[in-house]
Amino acid sequence: MSLNHTDEIPVIELRHVDKHYGDLHVLRDINLKVSRGEVLVVIGPSGSGKSTMCRTINRLETIDSGDVLIEGKPLPKEGRELAAMRAELGMVFQQFNLFAHKTILENVTLGPIDVLGMKRDEAEKRAMELLARVGVAEQAQKVPAQLSGGQQQRVAIARSLAMNPKAMMFDEPTSALDPEMINEVLDVMVELARGGMTMVVVTHEMNFARRVADRVVFMADGQIVEEGAPDEFFDHPKTQRARDFLNSIKGH
Amino acid sequence: MSNHAKPLSIRDALYEQPGPHTRRRVLIGTVITAVLVLIGIGLVIRQFYITGQLAPRYWTFLAQPTTWRYLLQGFRGTVSVALTSGVLALILGLVLMLGRTSGVKPLSVVCRVVTDFFRGVPSLLLIYFFFLVVPQYGVKLSSFWMITLPVTLAASGVLAEVMRAGVNAVPRGQVEAAMSLGMRPARIMFKIVLPQAIRFVIPSLISQLVVVVKDTTVAYVVSYPDLMQNARVLITNYDALVSMYFTVAIIYILLNYAINKLSGFVAERMGVKIIR
Repeated sequence: MSLNHTDEIPVIELRHVDKHYGDLHVLRDINLKVSRGEVLVVIGPSGSGKSTMCRTINRLETIDSGDVLIEGKPLPKEGRELAAMRAELGMVFQQFNLFAHKTILENVTLGPIDVLGMKRDEAEKRAMELLARVGVAEQAQKVPAQLSGGQQQRVAIARSLAMNPKAMMFDEPTSALDPEMINEVLDVMVELARGGMTMVVVTHEMNFARRVADRVVFMADGQIVEEGAPDEFFDHPKTQRARDFLNSIKGH
Repeated sequence: MSNHAKPLSIRDALYEQPGPHTRRRVLIGTVITAVLVLIGIGLVIRQFYITGQLAPRYWTFLAQPTTWRYLLQGFRGTVSVALTSGVLALILGLVLMLGRTSGVKPLSVVCRVVTDFFRGVPSLLLIYFFFLVVPQYGVKLSSFWMITLPVTLAASGVLAEVMRAGVNAVPRGQVEAAMSLGMRPARIMFKIVLPQAIRFVIPSLISQLVVVVKDTTVAYVVSYPDLMQNARVLITNYDALVSMYFTVAIIYILLNYAINKLSGFVAERMGVKIIR
């Protein structure tokens, strides 16, 4: 999938990205390219900066230095331009973050109507298609609190898809879910990956990484320590840090 | 809704279920307290009796329709001041809160100072300002506005803070999700944050009306015919201090009890958890 035959410009590129929280150096010289249609899985121990990195891509986290490029263009720093760029990138959160006071249908139509200026009928028609695609169409008139975590996360994915994003970021999308609900969300993500969506996925789901990733990035202490094809990374990790990490999660 | 919880009692919220020992102690305490309260009430009534306050001439005027018509007029005055102040204070409080949370530094500082000022100054002082100072500068205000404006200003400071607490209670993730969709800050505030914030604080906002109602009682300063002012007129007419104040107090209690009931009712309908 990451053959780079259509265009050489990566959809997402991070160049020498650095970030500090006070004394803590959370991102150290991060360099990363994500090509069109590529599924990049980011793994690493907690506190390694993987979520932070994921969130810098649409500037939910600001950076101290370096560049974030979307299709070769620098990510705007503020205002209308930043909002417009964010509208082209999907984001799925650990805590789902569905709008608590709106129905499931309204959650999915809000972006298209409010940001893209789509007509209500059209937005609703499309929202229902997306909700059907992620398997929660029957819940359209409920509010988020009435849905299970797995259902909420699938709605969150539909909400992002409704914006026709160029790429989607998943920030630990299954970490807040009960075990029996993880697969229903992963299945939707596998489906998306097969459909050619450009994805950056921060996750602890190693089976998912192995099965779906085009490339795995391993982070520790704010750095990218190692990256490679999933089989190569999981079977023959090159660094001691990665070997330790993989050993520590074995048996799960 | 599944999270439609029954209102918690304070005891449920703070303490464990009492055991047999505790229950006995609670019972003993209840009996002793009840006896003391009864004795207290008895003493008060006895004192009134001795001083002649229970004599029929102090109470019979309460049977006349004119008395009640006059009180009702005052009640209307109280309600119209309280409602007008309440609505205006809501709007002003919202504006102050939006200014304070706007992120525009000078605006935010101004709104913060104004909020704290109105929150800190006693409403009576504001009333004197509108009654004594403002007219000196040629601004003619009716007595209605002389009482309504200061009460509004005093309440707006508090309401701004209540609403700000509500805004702060909206999880950060809601804003991040809206930003990720490409929404702009103002729209995020009005479409995502405020609707949820208002739901969180609506019981407190309505309860705040109780304070507004109580503030209106100083309307006599500007001679606006509210319930309190009309009661004072009746007191002078019939020379009936205790009976009249007693009656008026009960009316105020009933009014404020009704407001509290309303806020509880609204809270329940919106699925907001409150502790009584």
